[in-house]
Amino acid sequence: MGAEYLKGLWDENPVFRQLLGMCPTLAVTGTVITGLAMGLATTFVLIFSSLVVSSIKKLIPSQVRIASYIVVIASFVTIADQFLKAYFYPISKAMGPYVPLIVVNCIILGRQEAFASKNSVGRSLIDALGMSSGFILALLVLSTIREILGAGTFLGYQVMGSWFKPWIIMILPAGAFLTLGVLLGIALVIERKTKRS
Amino acid sequence: MSLSSRMVIVLTTVGLISGGFLAGVAQLTKERIALNIQKEIEEAIVKVVPGTTQNRKLYEEEDYTIYGGQDELGGTTGYAIQATGIGFQDKITLMFGIDDSLKKIIGLTIIDQKETPGLGAKITDWNAFLQFWTDRDATGPLTLRKPPVSSLEALSSSEINTITGATISSQKILEIVNLSLEKLKKFISEEKIAGAGQNVN
Repeated sequence: MGAEYLKGLWDENPVFRQLLGMCPTLAVTGTVITGLAMGLATTFVLIFSSLVVSSIKKLIPSQVRIASYIVVIASFVTIADQFLKAYFYPISKAMGPYVPLIVVNCIILGRQEAFASKNSVGRSLIDALGMSSGFILALLVLSTIREILGAGTFLGYQVMGSWFKPWIIMILPAGAFLTLGVLLGIALVIERKTKRS
Repeated sequence: MSLSSRMVIVLTTVGLISGGFLAGVAQLTKERIALNIQKEIEEAIVKVVPGTTQNRKLYEEEDYTIYGGQDELGGTTGYAIQATGIGFQDKITLMFGIDDSLKKIIGLTIIDQKETPGLGAKITDWNAFLQFWTDRDATGPLTLRKPPVSSLEALSSSEINTITGATISSQKILEIVNLSLEKLKKFISEEKIAGAGQNVN
């Protein structure tokens, strides 16, 4: 069980190892708050989709499984979107179209196809929790670096002194690609080092 | 049961359950979402026409709404105009306040924008941009001050400061405001809308 959860954090981390969910990873990590909100919204969708898919997997003919999964996923995404609009309006506005776009996040459909549709409800839940934690972790690392370097703030609070001139490129799309590239490189180096020893 | 009928039944059922569920969720959140949007508009009106406690919609068309503001005693505080126009990246929705005599723009605030983070997005920043919209002369069209100055006092009353690195965003906002202002004056001279303080009904 522990291993099932931990694999999402590192060995099969959706962002650093599987390179899934790149669109939200690049698009909403300009500030920590939007990165965190995206991570939590994705977690909600992933957990509930996995629960539903793993419990109805035997009823669904394999020919229509993808269509059924997408309907289930889209429903939970809509719920997340409505909830954010109703209770966290400013954050929902800052995320723009990226909440509805969770529907096409490959992490979610990927986990349904690769895991929830083949495993028990309990194991699917653990898997979903692990994968979402890995996703949140990646988004937090990325958004922390980008917000501190790009705006000099963390969660909106000034953390850099007045001597610091924000690197505007870090909160632009180019900064997202640069940060992600460097982080992927670091992840690969760590992976090699630990495998060898 | 044949495979194809099973496929139809499963997909239909999944769709119906999801649809029903979502209809319920939409019912639950609808009111709150509408309230959030209304609150945002009201807060913006108070920001650009200070002292307003009540407002009434005087005129509405696509991307252009005029609100009349009143204080507690029923006295007129001015007009708040919400307008949407094309910015540098996408549409910008803003609101600005103008006094009752149409002589002075009291202030401006941005309701929605998707300008470049760190550059054009500074249009929402008080120090970088919004402070330069305080008490502008509304009798003629406003012009852009380029290169920008650092204090409000250095601008003439019909000038607006440019954001360094975001001239187009600044320019577009100026265009939206000038256009909206012209429209407001036309409506009032044609008596299409009543004065802010008067009862429209």
